[in-house]
Amino acid sequence: VNGPGSYFRATDPFPLESADHNKLHEFYRRLAAGRLATTRCAACGATAWPPRGFCGACASDRFEWVDLPGDGVVHAFTVQETGLPAGFDGPRVFAIVKVGGHRIFTILRDADPAVVRIGQRVRLAPMRVADEPKGAPRWLPAFRPA
Amino acid sequence: MRKVALVGAGVSKFGVRKATYRDLVWEAGKACFDSARAVRPADLEGLVVGTVMPERTAFQSHIASLAAEALGIRPSALSARTEHMCASGTVGIRYAYAFIAAGLADLVMVLGVEKLNQPGGDEAILNMGTGVDREWEAAFGLTAPPCFALAAQRHMAEYGTTEAQLALVGVKNHTHAAKNPNAHFGKGATLDQVLCSRMISTPLRLYMCSPITDGAAAVILASEERARALTDRPVWIRGTGQALDGFQLTSLDEDYARWPALGRAGEAAYRMAGLTPRDVDLAEVHDCFAIAELIACEELGFCEKGEAGPFVEAGRSDYGGDLVVNPRGGLIGCGHPLGATGVAQAAEVFVQLRGEAGPRQVGDAAVGLTHNNSGMGEHVVMIYGREPA
Repeated sequence: VNGPGSYFRATDPFPLESADHNKLHEFYRRLAAGRLATTRCAACGATAWPPRGFCGACASDRFEWVDLPGDGVVHAFTVQETGLPAGFDGPRVFAIVKVGGHRIFTILRDADPAVVRIGQRVRLAPMRVADEPKGAPRWLPAFRPA
Repeated sequence: MRKVALVGAGVSKFGVRKATYRDLVWEAGKACFDSARAVRPADLEGLVVGTVMPERTAFQSHIASLAAEALGIRPSALSARTEHMCASGTVGIRYAYAFIAAGLADLVMVLGVEKLNQPGGDEAILNMGTGVDREWEAAFGLTAPPCFALAAQRHMAEYGTTEAQLALVGVKNHTHAAKNPNAHFGKGATLDQVLCSRMISTPLRLYMCSPITDGAAAVILASEERARALTDRPVWIRGTGQALDGFQLTSLDEDYARWPALGRAGEAAYRMAGLTPRDVDLAEVHDCFAIAELIACEELGFCEKGEAGPFVEAGRSDYGGDLVVNPRGGLIGCGHPLGATGVAQAAEVFVQLRGEAGPRQVGDAAVGLTHNNSGMGEHVVMIYGREPA
């Protein structure tokens, strides 16, 4: 079938997360279990967000996985009401959340846009999105008000 | 290094265009050659094309060669495409500049082009997500507006900048665009219209945002010897700078209203030019959103940090003020055909410094600056002069 719909269906806005596709698969495996993980460089000890496969500080490629706290506070936010890409509903609360010293970009689920405020406590709320083309479930690290 | 100058410039009509990608290349190329009668396509030794997403919008790669053939150019020294999101055009100008300054070429065209409304605006908004990190940002539906909205929120909280001051950037640039026949919008805008336009991402309303626009622009760069032979009014490249703070939002300064990379890019360009912010008569800054123009005025030294709200309110960035910011109408009034924007900024400086800008002429303009960014974390600055040094 032709028309604009065929353009949209041809795009997959989500990352491929499974071990077949992604060396950061462990992040998504833990996320599916409700845990927020990231990498710590085995050479220099730097903990990064988001997780990495190469350390920009010491050039190592050896990492270990560590869990971060599942709660944080809103550092900055905006509410997008219109102009969102196809397949993403508004109003949408985009936020930067501080978790254990890291800043994490996310969306706040189930949040009333009128009452979101800087400093508000939020908790990890993994969000299931469309499965991978071969059927593996996919999750994104969303948050919701604590 | 050898001196380098612009000797020609031209811009297509910007807007939602009933035109193909190649039609836009032809329009900008025609306008550019019309401004440089002594240069014919076969004289050019190179072409650099700044463009972001023809793979999606025209289902076409290998775009520099397509454009060269469309314009009758047979590159013998330089042929390349630059993709650097919203700053692709100015990054292309820097490449051509470096080739000519180093003596590897004498005469090169830089053309920026984007056909975004293909098949429609919804497709363009979807494609804009490719400019942020797919895995950690775009997967949530992020595109540009919320990024710059975070900067606006912070600027308002930290410095007391008001919604009306943000809106005045929209009023000024829509008003300027009404004097530019190539702009996307030609009707101007009142403060009420801007403040009552629909909310995009708090606090940024529609008329504080650049639209989804098709368009193209081209400039011709020449070595000093060729420039003097081709025209009696070359526009000289005096300085350039580029700097990166980060790609992901969470890599940027925690204060989203501070853009240190823009300060560094500006300092590098001023130092190279031997000029200061007070020497600048007009600046084409990257007002993809109103907040970006305010922060650019601060980081480029046109006013103090935090003072850009009162600066625009007092008319200091308009005709009769300290300098004119975005005389062609900026991205808000002209539209933002990604790869074309940086080249169109250079084309505006070209006509302004030659005194050919008609009803939007900045009186006795001798120094012009362009600022092009890719997100809030990466900035490119060029400084041009009527005199070579």
